[in-house]
Amino acid sequence: MIRLSAILLALFALLPVGVHAADYPTKPVTIIVPYPPGGTADIFARYIAEGMNKAWKQDVIVQDHPGAGGNIASGQVAHAKADGYTLLLGTSGSNAVNPNLYKNMPYDAAKQMTVVATVASTANVLVVGPNSKAKSVKDLLAMARANPGKVTYASSGNGSVLHLSGVMLANKANVKMIHVPYKGTPPALLDVMAGRVDMMIANGPSVVGNVKAGKLKALAVTTAKRADALPNVPTMIQAGVPGYDLSSWFAIMGPSAIPKAVKEKINKTVNAILALDKTKKRFAAIGAAPLSMGVDQSGAFFQSELKKWGKLVQISGAKVD
Amino acid sequence: MELIHHLMLGFSVATHPVNIAYCLLGVTLGTFIGVLPGIGPLSGVAMLLPVTYVLPPTAAIIMLAGIFYGAQYGGSITSILVNIPGDASAAVTCIDGHAMAVRGRAGAALSMSKIASFAGGCFATLMIMLLGPVLTDVALQFGPAEYFSLMVVGLVTAVTLAHGSQLRGLAMVILGLMLGFVGTDVQTGTLRFTFGFEKLSDGVNLVALAIGLFGFSHIILNMEALVSRKIEMPKIIGILPTLADLKACVKPILRGMGVGSLLGVLPGGGAVLSSFTAYTVEKRLAADPSRFGHGAIEGVAAPEAANNAASQTSFIPLLTLGIPPNPVIALIGGALTIQGVIPGPEIISEQPHLFWGIVASMWIGNLMLLVLNLPLVGLWIRLLRVPRGILFPAIILFSCIGVYSVDNSAFDVGVAVFFGILGYAFLKFDCEPGPLLLGFVLGPMMEQNLRRAMLLSHGDPTVFLTQPISLALLLVAGGLVAVMVSSVLRNGHQQKLESEMSN
Repeated sequence: MIRLSAILLALFALLPVGVHAADYPTKPVTIIVPYPPGGTADIFARYIAEGMNKAWKQDVIVQDHPGAGGNIASGQVAHAKADGYTLLLGTSGSNAVNPNLYKNMPYDAAKQMTVVATVASTANVLVVGPNSKAKSVKDLLAMARANPGKVTYASSGNGSVLHLSGVMLANKANVKMIHVPYKGTPPALLDVMAGRVDMMIANGPSVVGNVKAGKLKALAVTTAKRADALPNVPTMIQAGVPGYDLSSWFAIMGPSAIPKAVKEKINKTVNAILALDKTKKRFAAIGAAPLSMGVDQSGAFFQSELKKWGKLVQISGAKVD
Repeated sequence: MELIHHLMLGFSVATHPVNIAYCLLGVTLGTFIGVLPGIGPLSGVAMLLPVTYVLPPTAAIIMLAGIFYGAQYGGSITSILVNIPGDASAAVTCIDGHAMAVRGRAGAALSMSKIASFAGGCFATLMIMLLGPVLTDVALQFGPAEYFSLMVVGLVTAVTLAHGSQLRGLAMVILGLMLGFVGTDVQTGTLRFTFGFEKLSDGVNLVALAIGLFGFSHIILNMEALVSRKIEMPKIIGILPTLADLKACVKPILRGMGVGSLLGVLPGGGAVLSSFTAYTVEKRLAADPSRFGHGAIEGVAAPEAANNAASQTSFIPLLTLGIPPNPVIALIGGALTIQGVIPGPEIISEQPHLFWGIVASMWIGNLMLLVLNLPLVGLWIRLLRVPRGILFPAIILFSCIGVYSVDNSAFDVGVAVFFGILGYAFLKFDCEPGPLLLGFVLGPMMEQNLRRAMLLSHGDPTVFLTQPISLALLLVAGGLVAVMVSSVLRNGHQQKLESEMSN
C-alpha cells in the first residue's frame, strides 16, 4: 500500500512538469561549463546566459566545473533532474569525443544526453612553423610520404579534437605521422613556432594573431568553407584532401528527458540570441560562427556527431580508461 | 626615444583616474586574496573574472593583473606570522620567515618581504619594457629537451630545501614525484593511481595539497600545543629591518629578481617554481647554509623578489605570442578574449595603449602595494594576538573556501584534509613538506618533457647532450651532485675519524 502510494506520488510529481512547461522558467536556471573560466566554452555560456536572462527575466547562472576532460560537468548534468533548470554548455570534445574515448563514462551519452540548441562552430587551422619547408598541405604530405613515421604533429592532448583532426588528415591522405601530445594548446604552439614539431591542427582563435604576424604559417582550415578570419587560407578539400570537413562545436545540452515544450522554449530563445547582429560580430571576434538549428535537428546532429567522432577515435586507437 | 614615447603613452593610460581606481582595487583585492590562506591568485582571478565583462578592456586587465601580483605581496604575511602560506608560491617563505617570527622578528621579515616584492616587481616591469621580445625568444629556445634538463637541476636542488637531514629531504622529494604520477598519462591516456576517483584523473590539486601539507597540518600541531598550554606568544623586536638586514639582502634580492624574471617567462614556470628556486640558490651560495631554516632573512627576501618578478614577466608570452605560461595568465588571456582583444603578437602594434598601459600600471600598482603594505605591517603583527581559538577556525574556513573555489569541487576539500593529516604525521617525524611540494610540481613536467623529447628525437637519447642549453643544464646538475656527495663523504669520514679518536 505504501509502495503504491509512493508510486502514485512519484507520478503526480512528474505530471506538473509537462503542464507548466509554458511557464518555464519559474526559478533560476544554471548552465554548467565543463572547462575553466575564461575559455571559449565559458565565453559562449556567459553570452547565452545574458541573452536568456533578458528574454526570461529570470536569473541564469553560469558555473564552471572543469575536470576529467569535461566528464565531471557532463555527468552532473546527465544525472540532474530533467526539468530544464540544469543545462550544460557542451562541446564536440567533451560530449561527442569523450563518450567514445573513455572506457568508464559516468553516463550513457547517446541515451541520457541531448543537444537542445546548437550555439556556435569554430574552424581549426593546420599551422606549421615560419621556417618550415612546407608551403602547402601537398608539400607537407609529400614530406610525410617520403619519410614515413618521421613527420610529427602536436595536439592539446591524447584523444582531443585537435589530435583526432590530425588522425583524420593522416587517414584521408594515407600517410603515417607521429602524434606528440601536450597538456593544452599553448606549450604545443611554442614548439611548432620554434620548428621542433612539424605541424599542428589548432583552434582558429589561438593561432590567427600569430599567423597574421608571420610567427606561424597557416596551410589550410578544416571546414568545408573558408574561415572569415583567414580568407586567404584554403580549405582542406581545396588543398587536396578530399572529404575533409571537421569543426569544433558548442551547444546548450541537457538530459534527454527534458519535456519537449521546455526544450522548444530554450531552443527558440537561443536561436533568437543567435539571430542578433551583435552575436555574429562577437562570435567572429573569437573565430566562431553562430550555428542555429531546431530542437529535432539539434538532437539528430548530436547523434550523428557521436558516430562521426566515434569513428575517428577508433581509427586513432586513443583511449582513456 | 621610442621607448620614452611608449612610456608616456603608457603612463597617460595608467594614470587615467578610472584605471588608477581599478589598479588600486586590483592590488587591494590581491593583497587580501594573498593573505587569505587557500585563496590564491588562481581562484581570486577566476572568481572576479565575470565582473570584468562589463569593464573596458584596459581597466579589466589592469585590475586582474593587480590581483595577480598583489597576491604575491599578501601571500607571505600568514607564512611569516603563523607558518601557513597564503598561497602556494609563499610556501617557501614559511621556512625562514616563520623562524624569524618565532625569534620576535616578524616585523622585519614582513617589511623585508614587501621591499623585496617591490624590487622584484619594478625589475620585472623594466624587463617587460626593455627585453620583452628577447625574453620571448628565450621561451622559444626551451624545447622538451631543455625543459627536462632544467627539471633535473630543479630536482637536485630540491633536496637542499630541507634544513634537517638530507636523506629525509630526498625521501620527501621522491614522495612528491610519486604523488605527481597520479592522474592521466598524457601519452597513452591510462589512468594512474586514481583508485576510481574521477576527480583524481587530472591529478592531485596543487592548492589542496599545499593547504593540507602547510596549513592544516600546522593547525593540528598548534592545537596540540594549545591543549598542553605550551604555546608562547613571541615577543616583537622592531618592525623595520635593520641596516645590516638590508645590506645582507641586496644581492639575494638581485638574484631572486633574475631567477624569477627568467622562470616566469617559461611555460609551467611561474611563481611557485621561481620562489623555491630562488631559495635554493641562496642556500647554495650562502657562506653559512646552516643559518637557513633558522631565520635567515635572505631566505625571505630572495623568494619574495622572485615570485613577484615571475608573476609579472609571465605576462610577456601572453602579450607577445598569445601564449599563457600558467593558469592564472590563461584566465587573464580569457578575459582579454571576452573583451574582443585576442592576445597575440598584434597587441603591441595594434593596441599600444593597452600594452603600454598595462606595463605602466604594474609600476604604479607596485608602488601602491608598497605604500599600502608597509604601514600595515604593524596591523598584521597584531594578528598574532588574536586568540588561536578564533584565528584557526577562521583560517580553516577560508582555506576550505579557497580550495573549493579552484574547480568548484568538494572533493578537493577532502584532498586537503587528507594531506593535512599526512602533513601532521610528517611534522611528527621531522620530515619537511617543502621538498615534497617541489617534487610534486617538477615531476609531471619532467616526465612529460622527457617522453616528448624522446618522441621528437625518434628515440635518440643523445638529444639531451647535443642541445647546448640542455647540456649546460645537465652539467650544472652533475656539478651540484658531485658537491653534495663529496660533502656527505667528507662529513662521514670526519665523523668516523672523530669516533676513532674518541676510542
